[in-house]
Amino acid sequence: MDEKSQEKIFSSVSKIINSLKDEWEYSGDITPETSLFTDLDFESIDAVVLGSMIEEHYNRPFPFAEYLAGVGEKEVQDIKVKDLVLFIHQNLEKRYELS
Amino acid sequence: MNYLDRQTVLIGLDGASFTVLDHLMEEGNMPFLKELISSGCRGELTSIVPPLTPPAWTSVITGCRPGTHGIFNFLQFESPGSRYIKWVSFRDIQRETIWTIVNRHGMRAGSLNFIGMNPPPPVSGYVIPGFVSWRWLKKNSYPENLFDRLHNIPGFDTKEMALNFKEEDKAVKGCQKEEYEDWILLHIRRERQWFRVMHYLMKTDPCHLTAVVFDGLDRIQHLCWRFLDPDYALKPLLPWEEKVRQLCLQYFREVDEFVREIVSMAGPQASTFIVSDHGFGPTKEILYINQWLQEQGYLKWKGDIKPSWEEREHLGVESPYRSLLNLDWKKTSAYAATASSNGIIIQVAGKRGKEGISPDEYLPFRDELMEKLQKECVDPKTGEPLISKVWTREEAFGGGYIDCAPDLTLALRDSGFVSINPSDVYYRSRSQIMGTHRPEGVFVAVGPGIQKGQVLPPLSIVNVAPSLLYSLGIPIPADMDGEVVTEIFDSAFLQTHPIETGEPTIPPERYQGAPPPQTEDAEGQEQIMLRLKSLGYV
Repeated sequence: MDEKSQEKIFSSVSKIINSLKDEWEYSGDITPETSLFTDLDFESIDAVVLGSMIEEHYNRPFPFAEYLAGVGEKEVQDIKVKDLVLFIHQNLEKRYELS
Repeated sequence: MNYLDRQTVLIGLDGASFTVLDHLMEEGNMPFLKELISSGCRGELTSIVPPLTPPAWTSVITGCRPGTHGIFNFLQFESPGSRYIKWVSFRDIQRETIWTIVNRHGMRAGSLNFIGMNPPPPVSGYVIPGFVSWRWLKKNSYPENLFDRLHNIPGFDTKEMALNFKEEDKAVKGCQKEEYEDWILLHIRRERQWFRVMHYLMKTDPCHLTAVVFDGLDRIQHLCWRFLDPDYALKPLLPWEEKVRQLCLQYFREVDEFVREIVSMAGPQASTFIVSDHGFGPTKEILYINQWLQEQGYLKWKGDIKPSWEEREHLGVESPYRSLLNLDWKKTSAYAATASSNGIIIQVAGKRGKEGISPDEYLPFRDELMEKLQKECVDPKTGEPLISKVWTREEAFGGGYIDCAPDLTLALRDSGFVSINPSDVYYRSRSQIMGTHRPEGVFVAVGPGIQKGQVLPPLSIVNVAPSLLYSLGIPIPADMDGEVVTEIFDSAFLQTHPIETGEPTIPPERYQGAPPPQTEDAEGQEQIMLRLKSLGYV
C-alpha cells in the first residue's frame, strides 16, 4: 500500500490513537468519523501533541499550527479523523512551502 | 540501594528565588535545604533573556543560550516562514542535551518533568517529559514500557502527575478565593507523584545523572505571591488568606522533604545540584502592548474588539491563537504574538506572509520602534517609562537559530509579562499583586570536591550543564556556550581533576525542522535539494 494513500495514513493515525484510547477510557472504535474533541474529549493541547506524534511517525514537519488555527475559525470547531487524514495526505503530496 | 561509583543529582525548583527560600529556611519551613546549603555552596543563578521557563530549562540541559538551542518560548513560530505558533517540543531543540552527552560517555541519565522532552529522545536511562497532558504522558515517555512499571508504585496516577492545562491557567489569570485551597492541593499532590516516581526509579533504575523539576513553585508563586513575599506576608491576613498561606508553606515543606529523601538515596558520594530556571518577584501593573502598538499605528485589530470586564486583567496567555486571528495583517507592521515572551514581531513582507514593511526598511523601522518603546510607552499618570530595556534579538539570544525569535524583547519596569489582549487602555494597575519572573534564580551545589559554606558570585544559567558534566568526570563539549564554574569546586579537587574540553556535541538524531522556502536562484535550489536529500525526502 502506498505510504501516502489515505488508507495507509488512516491506518497510521488510528494506530497512534488506538495505542492510547484504553488509557483515555474510550471504548469505541476509531473510524474516519471519530471526532477528536467530541468523541475523544480532546483539549486543544491534545490535538497539538497528536500532531507532534504524527510528525514523529513521518519524520517530517506538517503545518499543524496553521491547520489548527483554521479549525479555530470554523463554526464547528472539531476535527474528524478523516479531516486529519486528508490534511496529512495533502501535505505529503506537496513540498513544504512558505505560507 | 546500590550507589553508582559516580553520581550527580539535579533538582530543579522552577521559579525558586532566595528572596523566598531564605525566609522559608529562617522560619523553619525548609530545614533540610538550610542544612544542605551549609555543607555546600550557594549563589544567585542568572537566567536568560527573558527569564522564561522553556528557554531557561533548555539552557540548563544544553549549556547553551536560546539562540544556540532554538527554544525561546512555550509557543513559537511553526517555522521561520510561518506566522502560526505552536507548542515547542524536543524536535525544536537544536543542541544536544546532557542526557545523551552523559550516555555517550557510558553513563545513564534519567530525566523527569523537563519541558520540551516530548517526543522523548531515546536514552540509556529514562525520560518522562513535563508540560504534557495526561493523555499523552505514557506515549511520550521513554522507554516504551516505563509506564507499565510505574503502575507498580502505590498511588501512581497519571492524571494527577501530568499538567492540567485548564487549572494551570489560574496561575496567571487568577481565581476565586474559594478555589485557592483545591488549586494548591492539586500542586501538592502533583509534586508527590513526581517524587514517588523519582524515588521508585532511583531504586529500580539508578542512573549516573538523575534529574527532576518540581514546578509547583512557579505556579504557586504566580498566584499566591502576596502570601509568600516577605514584604507582604507580614501584613494581617484574613482567615481565608492565612489558610492559603499555610497551604503554600505546606507545599514548600513537602518539597524540602523530597529533597532530603533524594539526597539520602543518592548517597554521600553523589553531587547534588539544585537550580531554578528563574527567580520571582511581585508585579503590580499590566502593559497591554498590542493596544499600545495599535494606538501608535503599528497594529490594527479586525473590527472593534474589546475584552469583557472579567478578562480585563488577563494577559492572553490562554488564548494566543485568538489574538493572532484577530489581527488585520494588511495594516499591522508590529505585534506581540505571545504574552510570555515579552517579544514584538516586526512584520516584514515576504517573511511570514505577503504583508508588512519592506525588507530594506527593517533596521530603521526597528530602531525607531525601539526608541518609541523606551521613550513614549509611559505611565499615563507619572510619565515614567513602563519599559526598562529593549533588546534586539541578536542582543537577547545570540546564536544561529534566532529566525523564530521575536525581533524585540522587552523588560518591563516591574518585570511583569505584557498582555497581548485588546484593551480600552494600554496601561492598568492590577487589582492585586501577583508573582512574576525575575532573572535571579538559585544555584546550590553539595558533594565531593565542592566548596563548603561558600557564597558564589552570580553565575550564568548556561554554566550549569558544564559544571554538572565536570562533576561526572565528563569532558566539556567544545561548542557549549557555558563553562565550568571553578569557584564551585575546591582547589584540591580542581588540581586532581583537571577540566577537560571534549569533542563538540552531536546533532540531535531526528529531523531538524521544515526545509527552507523555495527560492528562484540556482544556488538556492541546489541547497534545497541537498537538504531534502539529507532528510530522506528525495
